[in-house]
Amino acid sequence: MEYSRRRKSVPSTQSVQTGSLVEMYPIDLQLYKVPPISSISLAEFEDLAQERLRILRAVDDINSRGLNKHSEECKGALTAELKRLGLKGFAKLINGTGCGNTESELRLRRRDHISHFILRLAYCRSEELRRWFIARELDLFRIRFSSLSAEAIQRFMQINNLKYEAVSEAEKSLLRECLFESSVIMPSVASVDAHVFYRVPYTDVQDLVRCRKVYLSGGSAYVPSTDLIAVLSTVFRTNLAHGMAIMARSLPALESDERIFQLLKNLHHSYVGEEYGSLKNSSAGSIQLDQLDLLSRHSFPPCMKKLSEHLRSNHHMRHGGRMQYGLFLKGIGLSLEDSLHYWKDGFSQKTDADKFEKQYSYNIRHNYGAVGKRANYAPYSCMKIIMSNVGPDEAHGCPFKHSDLSHLKQQLLAWNVPVAGINKVVEYVTQGHFQLACGKYFQITHGVQFEVAINHPNQYFVESQKVFNSKHDVKAAATGVPVGEILHTSDMEDVWGDDKDVESINVDIHQEVAI
Amino acid sequence: MPATVTHEDGGVVFTFGWPLQLIVVRGRLNTQSHYFDRREFSFTLADDIYIRYLSFANQEELECEIRKRNPYKIDIGPVYSHRPSEHRNLPTFHPLEKELVFDIDMTDYDEVRSCCTGADICVKCWRLMAIACKILDTALREDFGFQHLLWVFSGRRGIHCWVCDEEARKLDVTARSAVAEYLQLLSGGLHQSKKVTLSGDKLHTSIKRAKDIIEQQFVSMCVEEQDILGSATSMQKFLSLIPDEPMRQELMKELQNYSTSKQRWEAVVRHITERRQKGQLKRRQQFILEEIMLQYAYPRLDINVTKGLNHLLKSPFCVHPKTGKICLPFHPRAAEKFDPSSVPTISKIIEEVSQYDAKTKDMAGQDAKHRMKDYKKTSMLKGIVVFEEFVHKLEETWKGKRLEASGMQVHTNGICILLSNRYENAVLSVAITGYGGVAV
Repeated sequence: MEYSRRRKSVPSTQSVQTGSLVEMYPIDLQLYKVPPISSISLAEFEDLAQERLRILRAVDDINSRGLNKHSEECKGALTAELKRLGLKGFAKLINGTGCGNTESELRLRRRDHISHFILRLAYCRSEELRRWFIARELDLFRIRFSSLSAEAIQRFMQINNLKYEAVSEAEKSLLRECLFESSVIMPSVASVDAHVFYRVPYTDVQDLVRCRKVYLSGGSAYVPSTDLIAVLSTVFRTNLAHGMAIMARSLPALESDERIFQLLKNLHHSYVGEEYGSLKNSSAGSIQLDQLDLLSRHSFPPCMKKLSEHLRSNHHMRHGGRMQYGLFLKGIGLSLEDSLHYWKDGFSQKTDADKFEKQYSYNIRHNYGAVGKRANYAPYSCMKIIMSNVGPDEAHGCPFKHSDLSHLKQQLLAWNVPVAGINKVVEYVTQGHFQLACGKYFQITHGVQFEVAINHPNQYFVESQKVFNSKHDVKAAATGVPVGEILHTSDMEDVWGDDKDVESINVDIHQEVAI
Repeated sequence: MPATVTHEDGGVVFTFGWPLQLIVVRGRLNTQSHYFDRREFSFTLADDIYIRYLSFANQEELECEIRKRNPYKIDIGPVYSHRPSEHRNLPTFHPLEKELVFDIDMTDYDEVRSCCTGADICVKCWRLMAIACKILDTALREDFGFQHLLWVFSGRRGIHCWVCDEEARKLDVTARSAVAEYLQLLSGGLHQSKKVTLSGDKLHTSIKRAKDIIEQQFVSMCVEEQDILGSATSMQKFLSLIPDEPMRQELMKELQNYSTSKQRWEAVVRHITERRQKGQLKRRQQFILEEIMLQYAYPRLDINVTKGLNHLLKSPFCVHPKTGKICLPFHPRAAEKFDPSSVPTISKIIEEVSQYDAKTKDMAGQDAKHRMKDYKKTSMLKGIVVFEEFVHKLEETWKGKRLEASGMQVHTNGICILLSNRYENAVLSVAITGYGGVAV
């Protein structure tokens, strides 16, 4: 970053000017409780907004690689990514131990502070945007906290007025057994004695509670000192969520400045551009109903293929599946009318038209934003599907994550995946890399050489169509047939469809595996 | 007349005394704090017409609307920042508070029960509900420190729990989902047979407690009554919970030597304990026995209901549209003795009231004050006693609060207890009045 490099040459003595910065930003990490009060140019405003957005997108990107969020590996990857993007200053900040006060550090902290608040403005306008922003900021906070030195942590707690009561020795020895068995982090009963435990309201350690990693009694969580980051994450989240809710309310007043308003609006759009929800507008109606079955066989990702088959064989699907599959169909360009038709047909054996109209059609219209809140809902991403909760009797979710291995193998066999390929896929699954497994599946079933990183079912679909189109291109070039947007069914049958072709491709795969 | 039956448009309008007065006191207190009037209600009318975002200034308005619309079903939603009926289109309109609710549905137990399927429920499957109630109730009280839990039989195949503590009502969505997921052990859908996997080498206190509760009844409830090892298919299902292939094969062979579910279960326990003692269990399979028991009997929650702040749940004391049974509260400690088949239907209650009145006709001359409230004449008395006790305790806490901080808003749980329905062909509405039956 140009900015910090230039400043670095300035000797780090504390001038009168930096004195105030030292007071405002004593350590690297902050809870962003107070908005910045200073004047900046519009150009800098825009610059800061862009920078922060790139940082958060980098965080998002790292997340989708499936690295453990708490690992050094993850921090390393993010640092590398930020450096690659030319955000060296911030790369330094996330690795900062916290207490330095050179001028360049102070300037960085100010930049961090202001840019955070600018993005708050851009992201407080809808629930969905807020959620995305809070999640990314929280990841960033966690990563940065892990770099802090013990001294900095102490300062941080002090500055932010976080006072937690330590559990007395007497109580600790009384609860010894429970503290050991319920605190995942405790390797032995003896280690309980060696740690300080803090009594914290359970709402302050939601992540530990969610994963049952902490002892709970009467609404208090007993948190070992090593799990403090969990407490702070919740404080951070609550604080941020609250701040954004308040900001959303005062948004109309802020939007009166046209220059800023436009910028923030655009920022929002540049985010949505990555979501497959917006595909709807450009491609609505581009998929015909009679193509669906064929497309589902060749171009649907396994999670959707499975739901499509489920609907055909069970003539019913529970809510979670209808959401996951329905939004996907919307995303690939099935029109609302066709969608209604498709679902009604799928349900017809068990549900008469009248009942369907009453119980299910609203849901479908709602997905298309045709009734109720009229929001344009985005199709689910892989992350969302993988993290989703699948109850007994429900068929949605990610087949790589939510199936028994034996079931998965059978399923892949049924889909004509050769045994060697299945083993490759299963290997990824056992390591917990569900998206890589899906990418492998794509590679095998499409007979392509390159690795595909799958992070959205609709992206899978698009990639798959690309593969078919390019094969079609080759053919078209040979025969002189013009290339269409989406393949005609007969062409696809030619390129890929019948068993003979599959056989020949299987051979290819075997060879590739052998290499 | 304690109960009034009038004919109106060929239907019957029926009114009698109801414990609503307890709530209404609260409703009135809170007209000042604008609490009751920001509570969302929804009505389900004939032909599945569903009306959301209803709200009422006071009890009279609510009653009036119920009489007018005759809903099949009434759901209760959250308290919003503004009155839902008037301001739902404001950009700042958002839910503020709601009771923390849990919904357990018998249909989610289909893979572990053999006595019934789908919407049916019998005494045998009720035991699964009772144990779910016990486990959840203990966890909510001991781990989270909640005190005001109202357990309700939904009228057909499920149970609901309303946690009405102030802290619970104020939880935001993420906190709700944290609580819900803490209590949710089972995960995985149709394509995953093993739904409980305990990681680590020790059991969390709450899981241990749940396991202890289940263990006491597991043999009689699951092994014997549900016959989980009784047939070839159920054994197949059972064995699919054992991830280790060689162990599964061994067990499969061993089970052939026995003929009853109980003997087979004992063999499984013997086999696994032996392996455990010899240290032959892989680290990840330390708790295989516990995992099996939990999968068969741990509460199967519909956690989406718990997570959402704006999710609606059927009001207690409604009449179930399909069965005609009352959505009736029960005491969690008596859950095992509760018999869903004994829950009265609306027509039975009406019969009971008129029978009672016929018997005591001679005393009808007494003045109004001494009249008995109608609900006390019916077989839903127990449920109402449970409810009154619950409300009473809740009120105690507000009194304390009010003294503590006089002038502050009094928060109420705002559960409005209503009963209104059409049953079979008779247009029947049981509305609520504060004191004894007042003619409509």
